[in-house]
Amino acid sequence: MTIVKMKTKPKVLVLKADGINRDEELAFSFEISGGDAKIVHINDLRNGREKLKNYHILALPGGFAYGDDIASGKILAVELTSFFTEELKQFISRKDTAVLGVCNGFQTLVRTGILPFRNIGKMDAILTNNDSGRFECRWVPVKVEKNSRCVFLENMPDEIMHYPVAHGEGKFFAEPEVLQKIEREHLVAFRYTDKHGDPTLTYPNNPNGSINAIMGVTDKTGSVLGLMPHPECFTRREQHPNWRRMPSLKPQGLPLFKNIIDYVKKA
Amino acid sequence: MIHTIRVKTSRGPDIQGEGVLHDIRSVLKINSIQKVETASVYRLEGISKLQAKKLAEILFCEKINQAYSLNKPFAKKSSTVFEVGYKPGVMNPQVTSIIKSARDLGINITTADTSIEYEFHGQAKKQEVKEILEKLHLLNDTIQHIVMEEPKTLLTKGTAGKTTIIPIRKMNNSELLALSKDKLFLNLDELHIVKKYFVKIKRNPTDCELETIAQAWSEHCVHKTFKANLIIDGKKKKPLIQRIKEEALKHNKNIVSAFVDNSGVMDFYDGFAICGKVETHNSPSAIEPYGGAMTGSGGVFRDVLGTGLGAKCIASTDIFCFAHPNMNPSLLPNGCLPPDYLLKRVVAGVRDYGNRVGIPTNNGSVHFHNDFRAKPTVVVGAYGILPKKKAKKGRPKIGDVIVCVGGKTGRDGIHGATFSSGEMTEKTSSINSSAVQIGNAIEEKGMFDAILEAQRQNCIRAIQDCGAGGFSSAIGEIGQSQGVSVYLDKVSLKYKGLAPWEIWVSESQERMILAIPFKNLKQFLNICKLFNVQASILGKFDGSKKLQVYFRKKSVCNLDMKFLHHGLPQRIMRAKKNTSDEPIQSPRRWPDGLLRGKLISENEWIAVLERVLSHGNIASKEQIARLYDHSVGGTNDLQSYSGEELDSPNDAVVIRPILNKEFGMVISHGLNPVLNAIDPYWGSIWASAEALANYTAVGGDYKNASLINNYIWPFPDEESLWSLDKSVDAVVDIMKKLKIPVISGKDSLSSTYRGKDGAVIKIPPVLCMSVFGKIPNTSKTITSDFKKENSSFVLVGKMDFSRMGGSIYYETQEIRHGEVPHVDLEILPKTLTRIYRGIVQGKILSCHDISEGGLITALFEMCIGGGMGATIHLRGGRMDSSEVNHPEAFLFNETAGCFIVEVEHESTAKNLFTDVPFLMLGKTTKEKLITVQRNNRKMFSADVALLKKVWQEPMKKLFP
Repeated sequence: MTIVKMKTKPKVLVLKADGINRDEELAFSFEISGGDAKIVHINDLRNGREKLKNYHILALPGGFAYGDDIASGKILAVELTSFFTEELKQFISRKDTAVLGVCNGFQTLVRTGILPFRNIGKMDAILTNNDSGRFECRWVPVKVEKNSRCVFLENMPDEIMHYPVAHGEGKFFAEPEVLQKIEREHLVAFRYTDKHGDPTLTYPNNPNGSINAIMGVTDKTGSVLGLMPHPECFTRREQHPNWRRMPSLKPQGLPLFKNIIDYVKKA
Repeated sequence: MIHTIRVKTSRGPDIQGEGVLHDIRSVLKINSIQKVETASVYRLEGISKLQAKKLAEILFCEKINQAYSLNKPFAKKSSTVFEVGYKPGVMNPQVTSIIKSARDLGINITTADTSIEYEFHGQAKKQEVKEILEKLHLLNDTIQHIVMEEPKTLLTKGTAGKTTIIPIRKMNNSELLALSKDKLFLNLDELHIVKKYFVKIKRNPTDCELETIAQAWSEHCVHKTFKANLIIDGKKKKPLIQRIKEEALKHNKNIVSAFVDNSGVMDFYDGFAICGKVETHNSPSAIEPYGGAMTGSGGVFRDVLGTGLGAKCIASTDIFCFAHPNMNPSLLPNGCLPPDYLLKRVVAGVRDYGNRVGIPTNNGSVHFHNDFRAKPTVVVGAYGILPKKKAKKGRPKIGDVIVCVGGKTGRDGIHGATFSSGEMTEKTSSINSSAVQIGNAIEEKGMFDAILEAQRQNCIRAIQDCGAGGFSSAIGEIGQSQGVSVYLDKVSLKYKGLAPWEIWVSESQERMILAIPFKNLKQFLNICKLFNVQASILGKFDGSKKLQVYFRKKSVCNLDMKFLHHGLPQRIMRAKKNTSDEPIQSPRRWPDGLLRGKLISENEWIAVLERVLSHGNIASKEQIARLYDHSVGGTNDLQSYSGEELDSPNDAVVIRPILNKEFGMVISHGLNPVLNAIDPYWGSIWASAEALANYTAVGGDYKNASLINNYIWPFPDEESLWSLDKSVDAVVDIMKKLKIPVISGKDSLSSTYRGKDGAVIKIPPVLCMSVFGKIPNTSKTITSDFKKENSSFVLVGKMDFSRMGGSIYYETQEIRHGEVPHVDLEILPKTLTRIYRGIVQGKILSCHDISEGGLITALFEMCIGGGMGATIHLRGGRMDSSEVNHPEAFLFNETAGCFIVEVEHESTAKNLFTDVPFLMLGKTTKEKLITVQRNNRKMFSADVALLKKVWQEPMKKLFP
């Protein structure tokens, strides 16, 4: 296997497929964090014009891949596992790579089986309908999980941050034994919190009813991350609804992207 | 053989079933149902049972929380089951995904279908359950049916329909009218012109030709009323559109293209232009609100895409008018859907289309009046960005190829253009059901991506959206200057069985027509392929100056472009003021019923205020806004709700279309149908001033803005045409005084309902004014929430306190007369300029415009966002004597174009507002109370949190 030599900027493949619609802001967030991002249509991977192995970061954006028909991210997950199982395995086994799935991308990663246990082709958990029964777009308080295995969380503040959610199927759910394993292995990366910063199961701060308030999940290496909110929509301070009330506010999604870039650069 | 897979929830809540049960109990008050379960039903044709099982396990069912059954029902005998599916021929967007995914798994399905199964547990009989389905509108007859038996095949069969020759040359008047009724919607004069044309060319027309003419000459497409010469109250006046254009083009500093393309385009920064278009989708939304709203969004997004050589859509707005949700059901005319259902389903349609296609829905409003009960108003706006050098409409050349891109063509949406130009009757929903379509946002998104890529690669010569009138309209327009040959057998169809004329006028969604130079064709088709977008070559631009359409080598249409586009003579239309109405109760300044400054108790004051705040027009719409994705794109620099608890509303949209550039776009709108019904001139001035005030309140610079005017009016009889004329006068005056242009607009003049019993319902006329423009830096914009305790707040602008007609205060007090507020057009531009400067200089901390509910409502909204209170001091001898003599007028007057502004010190206001009226109102307080002092005595003091509850309640009920 050939490993691409690291130039100054890590190469980011932002995956595009029918119905994906948050590719541009995701690419922008990697760009301003020092990445060289390219939006690549899955058809160009299928026809060989583009190769996953030529990249360092695979980013799955939000949207409604193939309309989220049948279930969110399902059709794209089936396409990925049908045609790219080997390439994905090789990619995630490299030491200099990272994978990020946001919202629909997280749903897709879970439905491919990559998250949480790297069982490509076998689902261990699901993201299902919000308990509220509806799509909701708003900002929620979240917190980085201490002791998480995720390797992108260095120097992220140990305090409440705010990220926007925009989804109808974001409830993380798994069997008790699966859940125990996720907790035992420290695969939770973020949780929804109440106003004191404690994990919460209560609506609206937990916007979808995710068990254990799970907002984001990583794998055993910590280099694959999926999360429901949109850190890529908080990489400029003006994106926050109350930046005018908060003179010292910094964009709280930005450190995550910088950390991902730093991680693959250091590797 | 068909295999049927049913999937249901086996662990965790069946959210959909629980929702239905909740509605059965709380809305219908029926307790005989214990439980409702739902299942997704997938029917697959052309595969083996083993393959079906594989698909069930890998694709359809997730065993972590679901269970499936293959070829047998889940239901037990004791329960009642209804399966609701789309009628054959209605597009089911899921089918494409299912076929694709099965193919990815190596299984080739011939075709598929999906539906929903409801299983009701309890004592209710089958008939009762069916009534539940109907009452909860789980079944819309227009597009859905109850699946009674297992279908034998899912393929829609049929042989192509024939082309019929219509013997128009021999028809007398009554035969001509019979030909037109419910189909062509042309009047007798127009039918005679058509007849004369065919007499002259010595042959009878085909059905396809008549449909083409009817579509091209429909009010929807040709705007006969706006182009007509007018005689108003006996005096000649220029056509409405001419008056608008003539004034607009005088203010052309920023205009890139106006009135010629699918949207209006103005200058932006760094070699870019921005564009805007606002459309209505009233008629389809009245009979199938979900599909109607979806196709409304889809259509206006395509208008933006079809601007210049292709624009990127970056924002959208949604504005609705309905009857009050709690209207007495006996007032609902036959054949009309209840207003609460319409509102919920229209919102769902906007949500599902906008969110999926990935265009943020940034702004909107909802207005209630019971005269919208027969015909609601659904207004959708879309805004885009494109390189300025590609912002002019393209012109096809001889030899260019006509390519249709996007969705397949079916029978859906036939007669949309002609239908929306007709009045609505009791029969509308049954006769015109084919006029309704269900949108496929994902298909549209792919088409957007492909066309914008083709634009970047310079492949496109010209582009036209395929909306009302289908190919007939799109190809007829794009081919107007050159002439075209079109081959309908090249069209990709959803199913066989369409007659050529049906293919030609079908309004199937998600299609665009492009003119592609032959040398670019291969490159263009490759782009389409990459994005999984279907492209069909339909014909070419041939220089014939004719519209020549063929089906299987036979000519089905051969019309002169000149006749088609210029054969309709300009109308002369008459209008006069309706003098039968009671004259407006003026100049009596203070009509009966006003409190007239009476000493009423504190609790009575609070009750008056609460009635205003809980009125549908004023009540918080946050519950709706949260259903729309307004963060997609990462461009949104001013959220629709902000403040301490993120629940105080802002006045306009601020977006940064290019993420790494500071410059931005501001968008706002204004309307007030009730005022228009009382006084169309001042009502329309109000709507325009309100739109401009919203625009300015966030930091928009009106001098670099453009206007879009939309007229949604009752059928233009003499009386309604009179009010339309007045409204246009108002818009022209606004352009004159503000020195900015209208660059786009639309009219929809069919909002009259005629019942069988002779009942006529006209909507209150709607002028929706939208404003969009540019600002150099989005970080110099502000929100409405109060920022600091103990700061000063100031009323800025010229209030017309004595005129309260049409106000929410009057409505809640059941006062039914009075003049509407007059906006001072000399002072308005000065006020807007001062506010803009104050914001850019950072001297204004927060700002909110005075609108419905008056200054006390604006103040309340600023308090909730600030998480603080405010005290107003009313004193004599200042701006207006009403301040102390008529405090209710002072607090609730709705003069548009005025503002409440927060400044740190009073001196700031004195320095800022040198040439406009302003009045120090009071100070913000830490205590969360709104207190009104009159000559230093307390009138009332209301708890902000309690008021907020009252204000949020109405929409929380509708959108729990």
